Amino acid sequence: MSSRTTGRPPALAERVPSHKTPAHETPAHEVPAHEVPSLTVPEQRTTEIQLHGRRTPQRRPGKSRRNLYRLWFAIPSIILVGVFFGAPFVANIAFAFLQWTSYSTTITWAGLSNFVDAYRLGFLVHPIIITVLFAIMSMLMQNIAGLGFAKALQTGGRTDRFFRSLFFVPVLFSPLAAGYIWAAALQPHGAVNTFVSAVIPGFSFDWLGNPATALIAVALVDGWKWSGLATMVYVAGLNRIPSTVIQAAKLDGAGAWQRFWQVELPLLIPSLTFNLVVTLVGSFSAIDVVFAMTNGGPGNATTVLNAQLYLQYSGGLFGSASALGLVITILVVITAVPLIGWLRRREVEM
Amino acid sequence: VSTATATHRRERIRVAGVVRYVILSVVALPWVVLPLWLLLVNSFKTQGAASVPSLAWPAHLNILQNYAAVINQGAFFTGLANSALMAIPAIFFVLFFGSMAAWSYARSTSRTMKFAYYATSLSMILPAAIIPTVYILINLELNGTRIGYVLTIIGTRLGVVIFLSTGFIATLPASLEEAALIDGASKWQVYWHVILPMLRPVLFTAAILLVISVWNDFFYALFLLPGQSQATLPLNLYRFATTSTTGVAWNLVFADVVLTGLPLLIVYLVLQKRVLGGLTEGSVTG
Repeated sequence: MSSRTTGRPPALAERVPSHKTPAHETPAHEVPAHEVPSLTVPEQRTTEIQLHGRRTPQRRPGKSRRNLYRLWFAIPSIILVGVFFGAPFVANIAFAFLQWTSYSTTITWAGLSNFVDAYRLGFLVHPIIITVLFAIMSMLMQNIAGLGFAKALQTGGRTDRFFRSLFFVPVLFSPLAAGYIWAAALQPHGAVNTFVSAVIPGFSFDWLGNPATALIAVALVDGWKWSGLATMVYVAGLNRIPSTVIQAAKLDGAGAWQRFWQVELPLLIPSLTFNLVVTLVGSFSAIDVVFAMTNGGPGNATTVLNAQLYLQYSGGLFGSASALGLVITILVVITAVPLIGWLRRREVEM
Repeated sequence: VSTATATHRRERIRVAGVVRYVILSVVALPWVVLPLWLLLVNSFKTQGAASVPSLAWPAHLNILQNYAAVINQGAFFTGLANSALMAIPAIFFVLFFGSMAAWSYARSTSRTMKFAYYATSLSMILPAAIIPTVYILINLELNGTRIGYVLTIIGTRLGVVIFLSTGFIATLPASLEEAALIDGASKWQVYWHVILPMLRPVLFTAAILLVISVWNDFFYALFLLPGQSQATLPLNLYRFATTSTTGVAWNLVFADVVLTGLPLLIVYLVLQKRVLGGLTEGSVTG
C-alpha cells in the first residue's frame, strides 16, 4: 500500500517524476537499510527492475493498485491486533481515571482518585514493590540457570541433548501446575524440609507461611518453570558464535573461564538482552504461580499487581483495576526501552 | 609408547564424560526428576496419605479413585475439549494471519504499514489491558464466549509470529516472488506456494512458543471465561484445586495436574528433537 491509498500527500521520495523512477515498486532510494541484507541483493534488484520494466509500463496509479493486495493480506491481523490489543491498550489509559464500579450505573471522570485511593488504602506502593522484587528474582533465576545449563550443555552431544530435553520439561507445565508441585514440596513437613533435616536434624520451616520466604519461593518457582526456555535461547546464542573465534582465543592461551567472560559473554549480548528484558517484562504480569502457591498471602506478602488487579475486578471496582493495569504498563514500558533499542539494532543487522 | 599414551588419553576422556554425566544427573534430580516423582507418587495416594505430600511410595494405592474423581468432579474431559476447541483454532489463525501480514510488512515501504508493523511488534512486550478487553467483549456481545476468548488470544499473540516472520522474509530477496508473479501466479498463489513454504521453519518455532503459552494460558481464561462450561484445562485445574473445603486434597490436585500436563508431554515426547531444534536453530533471538 502506498501513501496514496491512505489519502495523504505522497511523501517527498514518491514525488519523483514517473519517467525517472525505475519501473519497480521500491525505487532504490526508498529501500530502507534493513531490506538490503548484503551487497549482492541490490544488484539482483537491478535485473528485476529491467525485467519488470519491459513488461509493465510505468504509471503511478498502477503502482498503488498493484500494491493494494498488501493491505488485504495484512488487514485480518491489523483488525484483530487493533481491536483486541491496540484499542484496550489505549482505552486503559482513560479507564484508569474513571470512577467506574459495578455498584453504580454512572461512570464519571475521577481524575487521580483511583491512584490516590489505592495509595491511601495501601494497595499501590506495596504491590509495586512486591511485583518488582518478584520480577527481579524470577528474571535472575531464569537467566542464571538458563545460562548455566546452556554453558554446561553447549556441545550438543548425546548426553547434552538428553539433559537439554529433561531441563525443558518444566516449561511445558502450566505455571499453575508448577506452583502446586512446589507448594506441596515446601509444606512444613514436605519434601524440601525432609532433605534439609537430613543435614540439620529436626529442621522444620513454613516456607510459604513467612512473608519473605514466601515471596522468594514464589519468584524462584516462576523462574524455575521458565528457565528451560531461557536455556534454549542461550544455547542458540552460543551456537551462533563462530568456532574460529573460540579456537583463536584458545591459541592465545585463554583458559575456559577467561574465554567465557572475555569472548563468549560479549558475543552473547543480543541473547542476553533479549532474555533479560523478556523474562523481566513477562514476570511483571505473572499471576498463575502466585494463585497456585499462596493466593497472595501470607497476608498480602505475595500480592503482585495482577493479583491485586483481580481482587479489584472481582470486587466490581473496574476503574481501580484499570489504574493498577496502567501501573503494570508503566513498569513494563520503563524496562522495555532497552528491548526496543535492541530491536532497532537487530533491524539494522537485517 | 605412543599407543599407550593414546589409550591413556582416551581413558581420561571417557572418565571425564562419566563424571560430567554424574554431575548433571545430581543437578537434574532435584530440578526435574524429584518434583515429577512427587507429583506422580502423590497422585496415587489416598487423601490422608497425601495430606503430608512426601516422596515415599504409597502404602495403599488409590489411583483409579483419584483419577476418576478428577475426570468426573473435575470435569476433565470438558476442560480438555474446551482447551482443544479454543487453543487449536487460535494457534492456527495466529500462524495463518500472521504469516500473511508478515509478507506485506516485509515488502512494503509505506509508512502506514511500517507503523502497523511496529505497533504489532510492541504487542509482544506490552502487557494486556484486561479490563478494557472485557469491556470491548461485552460491547461485541462476546464476553464469556469461546469465540471472544479465541479472538482475544489471536489479537494478543499475532505479534510474535509477525515479528519473527517479517524479520525472516526481509532477509530473503524478492526475486522468487516476482518471478512467480511474472509467470502469472496470483498474489494468493505466491503466498501459498512461495512464501509459506519458505516460512515453515520460522512458523514451526513460533508454533512451539504459541502452544506453550496458549495451551497453558490462565490469565485470559480467568477474566474472559467466567462460566464453568467454557473453562479450559488450566482454569479447570485452578477451580478444582481451590473449591476443596477440607484443606488441599493433594492427591486429587496432583492427579489433575498430571492429566492436565499429559497432552503437551505426549506431544513433546514424540517431537522433542524437532522442538528443541526449532528453538535453538530458529530465529528466536538475533
